[in-house]
Amino acid sequence: MRSRSRAAIGIWRARKVRAPGDRAYVIYAVFMVALVVVAPFARAVWLSATSPEGVALLVSPSAPGATVLVAASLWAGALLLGRDRGPALHPAFLTYALAASDLPRSDTFRGPLLRAGALVTAVTTTAAGLVACSVMSQGLAEPFSAAIFTGVAVLVGVIATVAWLAGQALPRAAVPIALSVFSLGLVTAAVPFMQPFTPWGWVGLAYPGTGTSHTVVPLAVIAAMFVALVPGLMNRLGFTVLAAQAARWDSATAHAMGVDFSMAAALYRGRPYTGRQIRAVRPVGRLVWTFLARDAIGAARTPGRLVVALVALITGSILMTLAFVPASPGWLLGASSGLVMFAGLGPLTDGVRHAASVAGGFPLYGIRDENLLANHMLFPLAIVALVLLTSVIVCSLSISVPPAAPLVGSLALGLLAVFNRVGHALKGPVPPSLLTPIPSPMGDLSPAFAVTWALDGVLLAALAGASAALAFQTPSLLVVVAAAVLGVGINRWHHRGS
Amino acid sequence: MAWEDSLVIKADNVGVTVGAVTLLAPVSVTAQRGKALIVLGRNGTGKSTLLRVLAGAQTPSSGMVRIGGAGVVGRDPGFRRRVAAMFGLPPMAPDLTVFDHVLLVATTWMDRSTAAADLARGVIAELGLTALSERFPHELSSGQTQLFGLALVLARPFEVLILDEPEQRLDFEHVESVIRVLRARRDRGATLVVATHSQVLADGLADRILQLDAAA
Repeated sequence: MRSRSRAAIGIWRARKVRAPGDRAYVIYAVFMVALVVVAPFARAVWLSATSPEGVALLVSPSAPGATVLVAASLWAGALLLGRDRGPALHPAFLTYALAASDLPRSDTFRGPLLRAGALVTAVTTTAAGLVACSVMSQGLAEPFSAAIFTGVAVLVGVIATVAWLAGQALPRAAVPIALSVFSLGLVTAAVPFMQPFTPWGWVGLAYPGTGTSHTVVPLAVIAAMFVALVPGLMNRLGFTVLAAQAARWDSATAHAMGVDFSMAAALYRGRPYTGRQIRAVRPVGRLVWTFLARDAIGAARTPGRLVVALVALITGSILMTLAFVPASPGWLLGASSGLVMFAGLGPLTDGVRHAASVAGGFPLYGIRDENLLANHMLFPLAIVALVLLTSVIVCSLSISVPPAAPLVGSLALGLLAVFNRVGHALKGPVPPSLLTPIPSPMGDLSPAFAVTWALDGVLLAALAGASAALAFQTPSLLVVVAAAVLGVGINRWHHRGS
Repeated sequence: MAWEDSLVIKADNVGVTVGAVTLLAPVSVTAQRGKALIVLGRNGTGKSTLLRVLAGAQTPSSGMVRIGGAGVVGRDPGFRRRVAAMFGLPPMAPDLTVFDHVLLVATTWMDRSTAAADLARGVIAELGLTALSERFPHELSSGQTQLFGLALVLARPFEVLILDEPEQRLDFEHVESVIRVLRARRDRGATLVVATHSQVLADGLADRILQLDAAA
């Protein structure tokens, strides 16, 4: 690193020198989080991975194909992620100062890139190591095979990091490349014959127990070629992109630290650039049709978000249908379905969020706040009904499950998910009472309450999914969860704008 | 004092305190139909607080406000129809263009769709936004966004229009055009209450000026 870069970064770091007591507290806090959160979670993951069901899943014939898809998705996702938040990024002011200077980016932004790369590679290596150790612990793979797969995961992490940087440096090219990688990954996963001819296929071929070690060399060559591209990619990073990404990331982390995850997520919501010629507001007939058309055309103006939303709803309905297959872990599949549907409804409820913000402010529209909200709920409800009805029937017939029960479960969940989204839109800022200490014999409980408040939408979504999957076994649970979702929404409605 | 037909706003000794802090020292003010009341004062003298009280967004700690002879109830449909207000920027939908926004607001207030479209086009043209009609909110500059916010409020009917520093983010030329637009509304019978730091806007619009002094 050049002396000027080192000096600038040194000044930045020197602004907040921690006292020895603060350092000791950080070490204590990290240790406690590791002990209380990370260790039990890691143990649960290990026990799941080595359980009979977990091992059966990991050694199933479809596991290498799934690995192919995971590798391709990871690389495609990294490319897309780089468009919004790349790995080569300092805090906003430091980014501004360094990016505006004449120093080469490969020098000034090397540190954050290396840290991001180390993180990604650690995650891929840990995940692959877990799979390899699980399979090896049952005597279904040789240690050498397990070590090869873990080594391949290191290369996957390196390639993912460079793909992430490429997305940051070449945002326009990233979309078609990512779509191509994902599509080819999908095809390769479905057609094993193609695996020897694609990098993501090589990852699948190295799967422990069934794989070969020959694919390490070509993957290593590709990883080395990618690493050689790094300085060039870094020096392509433009000032505007760096400054905008850093400013947005700073705002998002500030909101997240204040447990306002909705606002943090809103900063990364896709913006419309297409479809402006199509008139979204058509004042004909009843207002309800005007709002339905307005929401539909509005959603179509961010086609990527709309597609993701539809895919999520279809995935959610498939999970809910599978939850009604005998001997399946219904509550787990139901909870997953609830989470996926809640996420998928995000892009379909822009109108609901707008209605919620208007309802909390000064009168703008010539209809009551209740009518405005109800009109904006029509679009997500219609889409949910249409998509769930179709996909549950198709899925049920294709896996020979009677469609009635999954249909009831899915539609109940869809309805609750829309109401949960309404409640989420009406949430408002974090109540100050949650930010003050709540002393207890176990310590300050305020962070736990604040996080629960911040994630209540997600928790209710998971609960709604689980209760919908168990609707015919314990209908009372569904009634209780529905009452909770409606209660939260109604309470927030009455306190809107206050 | 008996209520006069021409008297639209009447505030008697209205004050706002929060704990020991005085946000608005007690003040009395009246405004008549078709007149513009300009509220001037340094930062912290309570201009915005007074306007929020008049708009029904804040309950006064003392005194009483009547608009059109009735009390101020922010969520009463009749009050909502009569009083329009803009504090900062109104909420905007990221997926609608400028024209979509203004047309949607107009549509919710009017029975005839052609009238709503004509009104939307008219308001947009008045504020010089015609060339920006097909832009999304994130594609506007800060000054253009301010004009767009004004267009949204002006696209709805009102008898009383309350604006907090409408000249924010605007250059001199656009302040002049905002004065023209507001003067036209006033001349058509609307009562305007405008808090501002712009002497140009005050000179161009005021029928009456209320000067607020520092809160105690």
